Amino acid sequence: MNRSLRGKVAIVGVGQSPTGRVPGRSPLDLTAEATMNALADAGMKKSEIDGVLTGSAFASSFHRFSIALSEYLNIQPSYSNTLQVSGATAGAAVNTAAAAINSGLADTVLVACGDSLLSGMTPDMAMRAMTESRDQQYEMPFGIPVANTFAMTCLRHMQQYGTTSEQLAQVAVTFREHAARTPGAQKTAPITVEDVLNSKMVTTPYHKLDCSLISDGAVALILTSAEKAYDYTDDPIFILGGGEYYSHEHIFLMPDITQTGAVQSAQKAYDMAGVTAADIDVAGIYDCFTGTVLMMLEDLGFCKKGESGPFVQDGQITYGGSIPTNTHGGMLSYAHPGIPAAWLHFAEVVRQLRGSCGERQVEGAELGLVHTLGAGFSTQATTVLGKGSTL
Amino acid sequence: MSGSMGGDPTVKPVPTPDGDSQAMWDGFKEGKLLLQHCNDCGHVQYYQQAMCRICQSGNIEHREASGRGTIHSYSVVYRAPGPAFKGDVPYAVLLVDLEEGPKMISSLVGKDFDALDFDVPVKLQTVQVSDEVTLPCFELV
Repeated sequence: MNRSLRGKVAIVGVGQSPTGRVPGRSPLDLTAEATMNALADAGMKKSEIDGVLTGSAFASSFHRFSIALSEYLNIQPSYSNTLQVSGATAGAAVNTAAAAINSGLADTVLVACGDSLLSGMTPDMAMRAMTESRDQQYEMPFGIPVANTFAMTCLRHMQQYGTTSEQLAQVAVTFREHAARTPGAQKTAPITVEDVLNSKMVTTPYHKLDCSLISDGAVALILTSAEKAYDYTDDPIFILGGGEYYSHEHIFLMPDITQTGAVQSAQKAYDMAGVTAADIDVAGIYDCFTGTVLMMLEDLGFCKKGESGPFVQDGQITYGGSIPTNTHGGMLSYAHPGIPAAWLHFAEVVRQLRGSCGERQVEGAELGLVHTLGAGFSTQATTVLGKGSTL
Repeated sequence: MSGSMGGDPTVKPVPTPDGDSQAMWDGFKEGKLLLQHCNDCGHVQYYQQAMCRICQSGNIEHREASGRGTIHSYSVVYRAPGPAFKGDVPYAVLLVDLEEGPKMISSLVGKDFDALDFDVPVKLQTVQVSDEVTLPCFELV
């Protein structure tokens, strides 16, 4: 590859608002608090931010969330956009911010998102808001929630490869164990495989505990050039590779519902970073549903196609396994405030690579991967991150 | 997402045909599923567009589908996606492999969920939901 982002840009600040149930706080308020915390983390003044990228918020009426956030913080960026590729927005925003910095469009970019799905909307409204992202002619009249598109891919995967409900449930159990070690996690009470299987059916094969939470919260990341990164921190976390893939809009035009565009997005990111899946020490994988994680473990190359069920049952996605994943607890147990949820995966992987995770630290983690996706596997974004020692 | 709060959540979303799709929605009212066939490359498409998705030719024509297909995948929905669907649950959503090649999203007529399985045959049954709208649903054969 001739052109590459490898090592050109680093994440120097990470901040969060409170997450979980945070009543009485608007999406802008939450995102502004996360931004102030990220600035404090970086030891940076807000005047140093000249770029702002955000996702959009379901519970906010602003079409241009990035512009509204800038006004709220009284900053006037020379580069800004509100991105919309559903659950993959986090990865796409980080990749895009890195590209903007590398090209000179901006020096220092705030990449932030916040929403109040839990307190700012009724559960019905939150579910409907997510549902309305489906095509109003070809999908939505049949009552197809976005959950259902993921469910249909999972059910076919189970049939094709013998993946079991117990194996799906193990993902939820593992991430709950991770959440129990993470301050601020929304759900920390231990659960068993039986608890998952006995929870209410939502859309087959997914029970309630196979599905992500509904939460409030915001996350902010601050990216700057490699040249400036050490001005702010001794532990900049570098963008080593980015890749995305957008294979279809409608689930019925997905080429193969058991293999996703994560294969292509990850390959591009690995190639740019000069690494393979086997080199990655810690991962953040978008976990809207348990089965989503299984399919991504395969498509990202952490295990062979069809073998993710036994892989998870063998303890490979937790401490001591080959790829500790979602060590904060993920969307299944830490928090799922909508689009910002995937920002939490970035925040966690950055903290792991900084070595600041305390009792949930993955020892010696130097290379990390974040994979975010959305809209029934339509949108895929992979980012490979690394400590300075990996350059 | 901005703008998503506009509709009345207790009312089911009604498809609004556009220039690409009007003929298909009219077809459903007559009990027909109209697929687009490309006269240049032979591609058959369900999603209605003014050009062939494979070769971009505008030389495409509607032909009535046989209405026969098989289940590629499915899911039985127990938690309604919003209040408008609460009266319908449980219901089964289908991903159908049409005999002519394309896949489509649809829903099952009836609640014989135990008979649902991969690759089992289904047949088109159009269901009128209002004066303006008839939906292409499927029943088990």
